[in-house]
Amino acid sequence: MKKLTYFPGCSAHGTSEEFDHTLKLVMKTLDVELEDIPDWNCCGATSAHVMTETLALALPLRNLVLAEQLESKTMGIACASCYSRMKMTKVQMDGNLDLAKKINSTIIQEGNYKGTVDVKSMLQFCYEDIGLETIRSKVTKKLSGLKVACYYGCLLTRPKAITQFDSPEYPMSMDRIMEALGAEAVEFDYKTECCGASFSISNTDVVLSLSGKILEVAKESGAHLIVVACPLCQSNLDMRQPDIVKISGWKYTIPILYFTQLMALAFGFPREDLRLNKNIVPAEDALSNIGKIQETPQKVIKTKKAVAAAESEVE
Amino acid sequence: MARVGVFVCFCGANIADFVDVPKVIEETKKIREVKYAIEYKYMCSDPGQQMIRDAIVQQKLTSVVVAACSPRMHEKTFRKALSDAGMNPYLLEVANIREHSSWVHQKDKKAATDKAADLIRMAVAKSIANEQLHEISVPVTKRALVIGGGIAGIQAALDIADARIPVTLIEKSPSIGGRMAQLDETFPTLDCSQCILTPKMVDVASHPYIELIPYSEVIELTGYVGNYKAKIRKKASYVNFSNCTGCGACWLKCPVKVPNEYNMNIDKRKAIYTPFPQAVPNKPVIDAEHCTMLLKGKCGICAKVCEKGAIDFKMQDEVIEREIGAVVIATGYDLWDPKPYEEYGVGRFKDIITSLEFERMVSANGPSGGLPLRPSDGKVPKNVVFIKCIGSRDESKGIEYCSKICCMYTAKHVVLLHHKVHDSHAYVFYMDIRAAGKGYEEFVKKAQVDTAATYLRGRVSKIYKKGDKLMVRGEDAQIGQVVEVEADLVVLATAITAPKDNPALARLLGVSYDKYGFMSEAHPKLRPVETAKAGIFLAGCTQAPKDIPDTVAQASACAAKVCGLFAGDTMKKDPMISKVNTEFCSGCLNCIQVCPYQAIVEEEIPMGHGSKEMRTVSKINEGVCQGCGSCVAICRSMAISLAGFTDPQIINEIVAI
Repeated sequence: MKKLTYFPGCSAHGTSEEFDHTLKLVMKTLDVELEDIPDWNCCGATSAHVMTETLALALPLRNLVLAEQLESKTMGIACASCYSRMKMTKVQMDGNLDLAKKINSTIIQEGNYKGTVDVKSMLQFCYEDIGLETIRSKVTKKLSGLKVACYYGCLLTRPKAITQFDSPEYPMSMDRIMEALGAEAVEFDYKTECCGASFSISNTDVVLSLSGKILEVAKESGAHLIVVACPLCQSNLDMRQPDIVKISGWKYTIPILYFTQLMALAFGFPREDLRLNKNIVPAEDALSNIGKIQETPQKVIKTKKAVAAAESEVE
Repeated sequence: MARVGVFVCFCGANIADFVDVPKVIEETKKIREVKYAIEYKYMCSDPGQQMIRDAIVQQKLTSVVVAACSPRMHEKTFRKALSDAGMNPYLLEVANIREHSSWVHQKDKKAATDKAADLIRMAVAKSIANEQLHEISVPVTKRALVIGGGIAGIQAALDIADARIPVTLIEKSPSIGGRMAQLDETFPTLDCSQCILTPKMVDVASHPYIELIPYSEVIELTGYVGNYKAKIRKKASYVNFSNCTGCGACWLKCPVKVPNEYNMNIDKRKAIYTPFPQAVPNKPVIDAEHCTMLLKGKCGICAKVCEKGAIDFKMQDEVIEREIGAVVIATGYDLWDPKPYEEYGVGRFKDIITSLEFERMVSANGPSGGLPLRPSDGKVPKNVVFIKCIGSRDESKGIEYCSKICCMYTAKHVVLLHHKVHDSHAYVFYMDIRAAGKGYEEFVKKAQVDTAATYLRGRVSKIYKKGDKLMVRGEDAQIGQVVEVEADLVVLATAITAPKDNPALARLLGVSYDKYGFMSEAHPKLRPVETAKAGIFLAGCTQAPKDIPDTVAQASACAAKVCGLFAGDTMKKDPMISKVNTEFCSGCLNCIQVCPYQAIVEEEIPMGHGSKEMRTVSKINEGVCQGCGSCVAICRSMAISLAGFTDPQIINEIVAI
């Protein structure tokens, strides 16, 4: 069994409890033992880095220092915001060890930062460290027939210079994982658009409009549901959806699941283990597509004919 | 006994305001060898020069020091004044008391004055050791090599050849014509590109003074200005041009289809092909990368159908040599690959094309006969969005510079779209409209009015698919709002970039290039067509993005430079070059390593007078040497000296302070 240092972040113990729970199921199946950082603290998002740089660096730095004292050389982070703060701090500290020393010695009593631990989002860990081959080998119940739109949000692949993972504009790692589970990942142009993030509380209308657009484009792409890897994205798209539906007058809803919920499903865990009851938009209908026979795709029109057709149209 | 005259210039107020000139004159007069010292407001003016000429004669001067601006500015002027007065011009020394003193010490007049006096003292001391030098004459080979057969190369070759100077024009593709041959109509007058270009192409082919070598590239250049030797590789065309009549039977029957570069890969050409019907020369070549006969030894249909027996599968590349006196680089440009614009879905959406693809579509000789068609379904687009500055002026994804022509060609494309599809509507997202040029602003204005195109000032942030349409979301900065446009087709105005082979070619020719790969001119304002290497000139986009009028003007300027270079039977050259004293030379050959101009070679000379044993020394080719002095510095036996900067001169200068 391989060990992985795990940073759950505050949302894993609250709004994204189903993410945390299914992640643990999935990791167990994949022979990965998650080891919590003892006495971990808040990553500082999203208030620290708009107020003071020192605090914004010191908070994640303490977690990094604590993580260095554990066995695993990789820290896996569930929440995208925590990941962003932690990775940003690591990159800045590694590039400026003098600054690291200064902050380290003045604020943190738990030891010195050495830069020995790598920081990855759980999505990145699954894609890079576990790999599609292993994931595919653990699938007992293929998700064939299920069409999903993978939504990455803004932080998991950006900024490119910091994350060094996948494409900042059109990432495909989650799509590939979904394909490994047997699902069909649809072409989804809004996979990295902003959901409105923490405006959810201060200016909800912004979230209703931005998240609404994401839902609309996902639906038009033919997806049965949206897959996410970020607790805040999930809560905006899921929790605000009833309001969005009310404003837009849609006749449909689209469930928002964590990629780990679908992994757990494909790995053969019963539905009750997915904690679907935590989702506000019910997912049962969407999941009922699993196993259904797919429609045959339309034949592509040959160019020559199309040219001729276009010419005759003009005439 | 030396008799030095010193002439101190006020440079208006430039020197006089910060250097106490009368004090400097007073100090200068204390030097023993100075027999005459005088100041004047503008020494470079005619009365100023007259003072120098008169003093040389009346005071019987043996050398002259002018204390003024940088020698880069007026050294030639004053040297001429010396020779007009019958003195060897190299007996002049310039003390730069402007750039080196008055301009840089404006806050401390005393220090500036002292420094000016020191600089003059040094120049006087150096001038005493100056020797009479004479310009060197170098023979000239009166033939020019033009690299690249686009409009720049064509124009340069024609203008040089019209002056009855032989030209060798080489072009890497099978036909001359370049990018301009791909264009439909040209801004700002909308004359048909083919109509104004193809007659010039024919002129090139038939000109008695032009040797056209298509499908070839330069692989080596040795020698120096006026006396270069170029090695040219003629790529195997597998078609014997002297037998071929260009009938076209071969490419009609060839079964291998290859993406057609001329049409930006929109359609296919054959493996044996001419790039386009108006090609010059109008003879096909076989694309060795795709021909199945050359790859696998199967097929050979072209050889069977050729009545003239012109196909020769055994043909090999051939290397030929030409002796030339000057080179014109006219390698043109490439286009920036918009792949990094992932947020636009470039590469995923078929209906996003580049401007040159659009140009080919609307071209009368294009793949769809002049009608723009959506690549996805072949339908005629109604709403077309043009996005400018793709790659250019984009530090994060592309390059910093402005590509210069995109504002104009996009306006042209708006007009062409309107002409071809009457019920269409064009939207143009732009950052600025840069229409500086004769008739340019008027053209853009007219395009906007005539086509009623919607010009939106702002960047596009996202393109996504909605059904079979593309939704283009961008900012309209003038109303401060995000707008979305439903498009059938999106056209990206991609930036001009330097040809990717430019750096390799620059190294091969020994000229410099900038960080983007564009060839560097000798001076951005005053020597825009010359490179730093004598006898090598630049025409067109190989130097920087430019439009056709500017390219043609620069090409003609190259021709004028080449003609000037070839005006006499010999060329005059500055005598300030290095010389080896073979008595002292130990043959270590370190100088060969440091010479940036490859001007030094090994030479075998007898050990002593009449001896049969030989020893190695270095020899400097005076035609190539530029007088940089690197070899002087590296020479450990002090065998090399640089005329005009000899050891006695330098030591005198040092002793003087």
